[in-house]
Amino acid sequence: MVRQTHIVSTSRVPVTVRMASPEFDDLCALVFRRYPDLEWASFARFGWRETSKGLVITLAGLDAPAQGDLDELVGHVKIAEPYTLRTALAAEGHPLAVGIIHSHPEGCRPQPSSIDDDMDGYYGSYFEDFAPGRPYVSLIFSKIDDELALSGRVRWHGKWLQVGRFAIERTPTRTWVGGCRPADGENARERTARLNAAFGDQAASRLRRSTVAVIGAGGTGSAAIEILARAGVGRIIIVDPDHLDESNLERVHGSTPEHVIRRESKASLARAHVMSIDPTCHVDAYVGALPQREIMDAVVTADVALGCTDQQHSRLALSDIALRYLVPSLDCGVMLEGREGKVSGQILQIIRFLSADACALCRSLVFPVRLAQELMSDEERTQRRIAAAAARERGDDPHPYWHEEAQLNTVGYLTTTAGAMAAGYVIGWLSGRFDPPFERLQLNLAGKFLDVTDFEVIPRADCICRRVRGWADQASADALISPPLHWAPPQAL
Amino acid sequence: MSFERIERELAILGEGCQIAQLITSSGRTLVLYRNVPTSGPRFSLPEVTDVIVPVPPGYPAALIDLAGLPVGSPFLPRVKGGQNNQGTLEADGRLWQLASYHPHNGGGGPPWDQTRYGFHTYIDHLIAWLDRLT
Repeated sequence: MVRQTHIVSTSRVPVTVRMASPEFDDLCALVFRRYPDLEWASFARFGWRETSKGLVITLAGLDAPAQGDLDELVGHVKIAEPYTLRTALAAEGHPLAVGIIHSHPEGCRPQPSSIDDDMDGYYGSYFEDFAPGRPYVSLIFSKIDDELALSGRVRWHGKWLQVGRFAIERTPTRTWVGGCRPADGENARERTARLNAAFGDQAASRLRRSTVAVIGAGGTGSAAIEILARAGVGRIIIVDPDHLDESNLERVHGSTPEHVIRRESKASLARAHVMSIDPTCHVDAYVGALPQREIMDAVVTADVALGCTDQQHSRLALSDIALRYLVPSLDCGVMLEGREGKVSGQILQIIRFLSADACALCRSLVFPVRLAQELMSDEERTQRRIAAAAARERGDDPHPYWHEEAQLNTVGYLTTTAGAMAAGYVIGWLSGRFDPPFERLQLNLAGKFLDVTDFEVIPRADCICRRVRGWADQASADALISPPLHWAPPQAL
Repeated sequence: MSFERIERELAILGEGCQIAQLITSSGRTLVLYRNVPTSGPRFSLPEVTDVIVPVPPGYPAALIDLAGLPVGSPFLPRVKGGQNNQGTLEADGRLWQLASYHPHNGGGGPPWDQTRYGFHTYIDHLIAWLDRLT
């Protein structure tokens, strides 16, 4: 039977598709196996998150074809019914969305053909029977002028939505919305001429169409934000729950005593600072913190997330976002150590979280007691401090009630160094020009040759981070952290 | 609050016939364990009692801590930390007193590991707590 389906998809609901290694590499190897002239395909599983502004789809795994599942004798993709049925039956046993990814021959636009319309029209309703209430995803991969050309559409709540953006971990990509060639980037700008000369105009264009989420706009974050804005990053998401106080003036870029008098939020100050540097940069600023829902909704749309809070809960949340939503992240922190009136250590740490990296738990990067204390309400902290004092008076151990943590001291030149370095690695990722060559970099500015160390950790085989990579909201029961109910609701500025 | 996770853990308890419910009271979220076995009969006390445990902010990142018994419960003077009141709260139509019981925080249990422990394993600590009456 020949079907005559004509699919009209809308771009009214923004759809972002995220992918990461190793699944993305495996997928490319599969769909391009008969390249450059012949097509190939694979079914796949996807997580998803419906945000307040759109839909984010994450590649969670491949249901790769076995021998005989696709017809080798034809140039286009012809799928044997048992492969389809096997995929559909598997979907009854997992909570993920189902989709298909196929290639178009080299040089051919990733625009759906009438055969593709027929296929998607059929599968869109077929998989609805096996995986009701879940999106159906159809993606097309092509290579044009030595670049990946990706397009896609998603059937969701009975409507076809165009994929507006692909965000591939550590891989700059151009999205061909609806299969149409993307508009050429704007002309190279004089303001980034030195960066363009160093990394090339293509890199500048990639930065311009990139989104970076910066969590924390204090000493480290404000330095990173400034570097990213000056480098020409197109969109910056800024998140910080705090307001400026006088002690911030030594570290926070762009801050003045006037801001302190006004008790301006750090997010608002950072946004104004970015706009003063580059009025064309799109800034979304929030007074809030990870993992609050609205903040998560924003951060999962970023190409890269950068953690600059040096707090346990933020680090854990970034690890979770990298794991379940495939957002490559860097988390940085600094610390001053002293002894006998001398500064003995000026420690700077940058931690990489990719979806396939060991999570923060596997790497023992969080300390449960300190984390629990961070997450307590002020009232509970007060109660516990009182209980600890009472225990001390009784001669009991006060630690079950409260564990006094030393204030992490830091100074502006150290936070600026950390923020600038981390922003540099982000620029490397976004431009495709270089990769952070570490999993967890630690260095000591007070050490000979900086005492540079890298910590590589193999994930624990039984950790949940081995099971739910790319599962997005479908693994919400496995989220590493949830937002405390006593936190103030986030505020978009 | 990771309700999905807690519901999953309570379902595991249900498979073992331990009834536990997620309840909210005065802005606090709690798990109410029903009819937890005790060694009460050795002291002419009931065989079972209800216990509440606060859901910590940020759970599962933050460790589960404390345990509460109904105010006036005959178990309070006999359980570890029962005489060290960590606050009272109202829930399920009753007033509860939180005892100073910290199995994952230096109180004799293993350090908190959210990939292994949860409300479904905290029951073991509660049973042990109510077994070691003095």
